Amino acid sequence: MPVPWEALIPFALLTTMFGAAGTLLNTSKRLQNQGKPVRYNVDAWDEMMMDRDRRLTGHKRGQAAEPFAPEEFETNSAWYTERTS
Amino acid sequence: MSRFLDPAESSKPYKDPTPLPADVPKVKELGVTSAPLKSAAFFLGAYCKDYNEDFMLCKAENPDPAHCLKEGRRVTRCAQDLITKLRENCLAEFEKHWNCLEYNNQEYYHCRKDERVLNKCVFEKLGLVKTIPGTPEGKTPIHEVKNPVYTGVQK
Repeated sequence: MPVPWEALIPFALLTTMFGAAGTLLNTSKRLQNQGKPVRYNVDAWDEMMMDRDRRLTGHKRGQAAEPFAPEEFETNSAWYTERTS
Repeated sequence: MSRFLDPAESSKPYKDPTPLPADVPKVKELGVTSAPLKSAAFFLGAYCKDYNEDFMLCKAENPDPAHCLKEGRRVTRCAQDLITKLRENCLAEFEKHWNCLEYNNQEYYHCRKDERVLNKCVFEKLGLVKTIPGTPEGKTPIHEVKNPVYTGVQK
């Protein structure tokens, strides 16, 4: 008796679609994080450090190990102020 | 009227480009981002202990930023000194360790292998040892435990 291969199409379809969705999500996340896995359990300290990294390098996951910062770093922090007048 | 406005809600951040006043001695800021800083953290603690403690005690007296500028400058210079020495002597091991941290959510326990290599290099070249303050007496520090219980999921 011939094998009912048409019945296996839904399984193959499900596997492919789950795999494609997972891969696409992973790729999208890695592209947003410069090829690195996404940061999790990010607390206020890590938020502050990632903001500092963004001020130093331009991207929140960018890293640099120079002893001296570029000139812009000294004045490019954003302040908690509002214009009152 | 001035109430606290969450900067995340503002349409554009307010950046003040005016530099520090001229009577404050000029020290370039530290250009190390989070992962290399975390990698070098315990060596900074060992190397710059006196300056760090001075700064913390000064801040404990008065949290005003203007009060502790001198101690802060000393801390910055010491940290710059250590980073320069690290880069001269152990650049490859240092880069490897902080790249490992970056790929692992900046958690130490994933990167013990690279950390051991870095600790060995730093001890040989610079004489600094990583000690975890507050380790209970008699227990091995977590970074020296041979077979830790909590490891990463993948090898």
